[in-house]
Amino acid sequence: MRILAFESSCDETAAAVVEDGRKVLADEIFSQVKLHEIYGGVVPEIAARSHLEVISLLADRALKTAGVTRRDIDAVACTYAPGLIGAVLVGVNFAKSAALALGVPLIPVHHIRGHIAANYLAFPDLEPPFVCLAISGGNTMLVDVRGYTDMSVLGQTRDDAAGECFDKSARVMGLGYPGGKPIDDLSRQGDDRAYDLPRPAVNDGNPFDMSFSGLKTAVVNIAHHAQQTGQPLDKPGLAASLCRVVSEMLVSRTMDAAKLLGYKNVAVAGGVAANSRIRADFEAACEKAGRALFVPPLRLCGDNGAMIGAQAYYEFLAGHTADSSLNAYATMTL
Amino acid sequence: MLTLALESSAKAASAAVFDDEKMLAFTIQNAGLTHSRTLLPMAEGLMRGLDMAPSRLDRVAVSRGPGSFTGLRIGMAEAKGLCWALDIPAVGVSTLEAMAWGGPVLDGQMLCCCMDARRGQVYNALFTVEGGKPVRLTPDRAISLPELESELIARQEPCILLGDGAALCYNTLDRSQVTLFMAPEPLRLQNARGVGLAAMGQPAVPAGELMPAYLRLSQAERERLAKLERE
Repeated sequence: MRILAFESSCDETAAAVVEDGRKVLADEIFSQVKLHEIYGGVVPEIAARSHLEVISLLADRALKTAGVTRRDIDAVACTYAPGLIGAVLVGVNFAKSAALALGVPLIPVHHIRGHIAANYLAFPDLEPPFVCLAISGGNTMLVDVRGYTDMSVLGQTRDDAAGECFDKSARVMGLGYPGGKPIDDLSRQGDDRAYDLPRPAVNDGNPFDMSFSGLKTAVVNIAHHAQQTGQPLDKPGLAASLCRVVSEMLVSRTMDAAKLLGYKNVAVAGGVAANSRIRADFEAACEKAGRALFVPPLRLCGDNGAMIGAQAYYEFLAGHTADSSLNAYATMTL
Repeated sequence: MLTLALESSAKAASAAVFDDEKMLAFTIQNAGLTHSRTLLPMAEGLMRGLDMAPSRLDRVAVSRGPGSFTGLRIGMAEAKGLCWALDIPAVGVSTLEAMAWGGPVLDGQMLCCCMDARRGQVYNALFTVEGGKPVRLTPDRAISLPELESELIARQEPCILLGDGAALCYNTLDRSQVTLFMAPEPLRLQNARGVGLAAMGQPAVPAGELMPAYLRLSQAERERLAKLERE
């Protein structure tokens, strides 16, 4: 089954063709990073305008790269939630119209489920159950993946996403946007104990919930304090300390969850999974605990259409299709 | 030639199917529901009612603006999706021109199409009617109410107000100096019938190239430019 899949929830427009949930025939992405750079973050209206400008072209390219025609498409899928509403709307409305005109099923896909499914593309033998940490600029979620479409949120951030914490920290350190990569690069040269950063604890109720806003504020305060007092800021040290604390918060909870559920497999997904400290800590923790670790390659960690096409296949098998009244949503439970 | 016309630039959403200039079917919804939920089912329902597969469409006409940014994008994303799948071209129609075509096209009348653009402005264009067809007198523009008033006074002609900015103009502009009429309510607002009629004389383009005419930058861009100007 060949699925044409669209993703437009934030600042990447993507169209992909995926066969039977596992084989990527095409994965075309247009990144808007350059458009948003001068604003220091994603501007929703600019994102929505750009998606509409390039989506037809990306669909053309996806078919061309896959070497298929419109008639070879068996279903159309799209991210329908969560995301920047104006941005998601473009992909949803394009996709559902295309599905109607082609006379094929329409499959709505939850963006985070898509990130989790990136693992199915990278690791052909991986099957549920496993525990998955989904970390990106907009989401931080620990998920019990019992089946391809049967999953529940074990814990999540109460405030900012881990990626948001990196972006804001990079901003106050003058590292530009997006902040994940420059923080990661800088952290490799720094002492990860240079700064004693707080580990915001969520003490009420769910031990798997997280909080990053206090950590973000601590970094902002350190940077501003150095600026005001004229003291030098150890940027590599601050970046390394930040990566260590974020990684410890994420890795410990994920490993605890895997132990509690008795799962052998641990997966990571989303753009923040590109962080080298988080990857290294997960590798060490999984080796120690005797669990198998799955982290997709960088290209599949960021937003892409292939992951939506992968998850869409399993949603289709579970009967999760939609009609032409499908709407887009800024927020949606997993 | 079969054309599907879509309109979602403001509160109401509407769809129509045309065979050349003959309207075969039309539907409108003005309940304030999101266009993303309602517009495509409306188009689908019209085609089903006509026993017509979407694959029979020759082109799709859609409002390209001005109007609600999100509303325009929903209509245009749907037009692009349909056109992409069917490999057919699209026609982007000025919302104000669609409003004129759907209005009281009485020969010799001047039509003043206005949408409330807030910030003391209206999106506006003026048309005169010749041979039952609107003929454009001005380009689409965002214009302040005092500027529009001066222009209408200078033209020294009575004019018929259309659009969701009609009442605003009627109540604000100096009626002792310019004769204004409100278009009757059923003919006042832009709709897919007007889009389809306005599209008749216009060339179709590859749908991928179609973009809304927002007539206004995003807020972030406006604020950035204002800041650069101050510095």
